[in-house]
Amino acid sequence: MKITVLLSAGRHPVSARPCPPAVELQALRLASGLAADITGLHAGPSADGVADALGHGLSTLNLLTIKGDSDPLVSLAATLKATTPDLILAGRQAQGGEDSGLLPYALARELGLPILADVVRIDAGGEGLLAVEQVLPRGARRRVVLRLPALLTVHPAAPAPLPFTFAAARRGKITQLQGVDSQPPSAAPEERPYRKRPKLIAKSAAGASAADRLKAATEAAAGGGRLLVNPAPAEAAREIITHLREIGVLRR
Amino acid sequence: MSRTRRDPRTERALHLVAGTARPRLDRAAAPAAASPTGRPRRDPRAEVDSALVPGPARRRLDRTLRQTGLTGQTGHIVHLIEPEIALTAPPRIVVVEEPAFLVAAVPDAPGGRLTAHDRQVLGAARLLAEGGGAVVALPGGPVEELGGAGADRSQVLAGESEFDPEGRAAALAAALRRLKVRHAVFPETAEGGDLARRVAAALGEPLFAAAESLTARAVTRAARGRRVEQRATPPRLVSLTADAVAAYAGAPREAREINALGEVAAVPRAIVSARVVPADPATVPLSEAEFVVSAGNGITDFERFRALVAALRATPGASRVVCDAGLMPRAAQVGASGTVLDATCYFALGIAGAPQHLQGVARCEHVVAVNTDLHAAMIERAGLAIVADAQEVMPALLAALQAEETRE
Ligand SMILES: Cc1cc2nc3c(=O)[nH]c(=O)nc-3n(C[C@H](O)[C@H](O)[C@H](O)COP(=O)(O)OP(=O)(O)OC[C@H]3O[C@@H](n4cnc5c(N)ncnc54)[C@H](O)[C@@H]3O)c2cc1C
Repeated sequence: MKITVLLSAGRHPVSARPCPPAVELQALRLASGLAADITGLHAGPSADGVADALGHGLSTLNLLTIKGDSDPLVSLAATLKATTPDLILAGRQAQGGEDSGLLPYALARELGLPILADVVRIDAGGEGLLAVEQVLPRGARRRVVLRLPALLTVHPAAPAPLPFTFAAARRGKITQLQGVDSQPPSAAPEERPYRKRPKLIAKSAAGASAADRLKAATEAAAGGGRLLVNPAPAEAAREIITHLREIGVLRR
Repeated sequence: MSRTRRDPRTERALHLVAGTARPRLDRAAAPAAASPTGRPRRDPRAEVDSALVPGPARRRLDRTLRQTGLTGQTGHIVHLIEPEIALTAPPRIVVVEEPAFLVAAVPDAPGGRLTAHDRQVLGAARLLAEGGGAVVALPGGPVEELGGAGADRSQVLAGESEFDPEGRAAALAAALRRLKVRHAVFPETAEGGDLARRVAAALGEPLFAAAESLTARAVTRAARGRRVEQRATPPRLVSLTADAVAAYAGAPREAREINALGEVAAVPRAIVSARVVPADPATVPLSEAEFVVSAGNGITDFERFRALVAALRATPGASRVVCDAGLMPRAAQVGASGTVLDATCYFALGIAGAPQHLQGVARCEHVVAVNTDLHAAMIERAGLAIVADAQEVMPALLAALQAEETRE
């Protein structure tokens, strides 16, 4: 199986120095578990930061050199159309660029591939099939079997990246290719230093006294419940079980 | 000074009792018209009278207004209960007959119910629709409370099977094209965010992802590793983070069903099968758990408590006293200095309900409490409250669950 992992030029969340985003290194680890031929692909002016991925289990990195402000989508699509990998892996969101998480979707559209988001586990699922596990909210998972070729984005809950080894990073090959320069996306939004915005608080709490705010924070949304005083333990147990069933949290 | 002068003559005339030959004044009765400023005057005597608790020989006043005396005719107190009367009148439904433009909102509505985030998305759509627009809700399945949340129109756009993101995105893109919506707002959740990006790719338009503030004139989002804030006039496609915009709070709207089905383009479907695996309650983090059973200082038998948690398939929690004593791990602490829950149901055993603890339970929809103290705050908070010894209820619960299992 041929796998291409898309790598982006990220910035470290704390130091802001160039480094590959953690979730893309996690994608690398998922790919290396599949015993496949893996290549990294990056479109950008240089391999700054991205090259570190070579130390995390990647052997070859294809670098499509384009101008700093041109859209990487065109170059990536052109290359992937030519190489036709079975599986393309990407991070769920870049870290240090536009950070909108839109590129994998636009790319899948361009290549006519299906896309599945938030994957944490990938297993081979037979001829031309892949069994993947997708993260859902509240700790639930979804097991999906899908046909190849496909594009998957990886979720941060996937297994941690392989540890960095210096020797592997030295050994890894970077192939420079000429990318396609294109117009930068028009109408760039105005940018200013980030400032945290206050989160919304409950309407009833705004402006009222401290006692009212505490009450709003702790009182039942729908007041007035059932009260049983000194029931027999067996009766109490029956009541509780019926109530939990009604709510739907006790399934069985 | 601009204060109006008192006019003793008219004031006196207001107290005149009609129907007697001789002019008679009733100074005790409240004047028909209020004071010259229009504000009703307080009448301390009548307030005290209405707060009097009937019955006991000794005078007792209840100033919490819980007494039946609420119906007293003093201006002050009647004024207080007025809003309640207004609430009972059926609210008028707002109808937008000929909208100047449309704004779409795409709620997740898991299980056919709007989440708080969905309501905020509809509230944001309402904001963008100010000035003659109408909000179209496009959920993935039937949802009831759309009108109250601010939707003028609605149309269900479902995929072909239970998990068909490709089909739903294609139907949505077609509907947005056909309705020519000015804006479409999505929640930035796992499902909503995925859908928003699929639709953006299908329409070939940019998406303003994860907006952190939204008004009719500007939206902002974080970019470049949360170091800069991007600001723009609201584009066509916006996805909104939680707690950024208030939910709609006005009069209910009609949520009239329309036909928004557009020409759906063929999409490559690659999903062969999909199956949801529920979370393992024993390992799921407390903040994500759906059902939490929690022990307080009233619990002494922790072996039995753990057995009960396992039998109920719940996630274990505890109050601070229990964690401080080392009887439960610190990670299990619920409350202001522990974990704030997002659970559907919270089951508290032997917990008093200190304010610090209740803050951790504030977002839970249902609370069940077992406590020996009738006056515990937890009992007041609970939807099902049982005043009993938790040490006896726990084995009874375990026995009942076991009996059910053997019967099956
Ligand atoms: C700064 C600060 C932060 C705090 N943060 C937290 C926090 O995050 N989380 C937290 O939980 N607390 C917190 N606390 C502590 C909090 O104020 C309370 O002390 C604590 O929550 C009380 O725990 P409890 O209800 O288990 O114990 P208690 O107050 O001792 O209550 C025990 C309850 O069990 C009942 N009971 C006794 N025997 C039985 C029985 N056999 N069957 C049934 N019921 C029985 C009693 O009637 C009583 O209501 C904080 C305190 C401070 C000062």
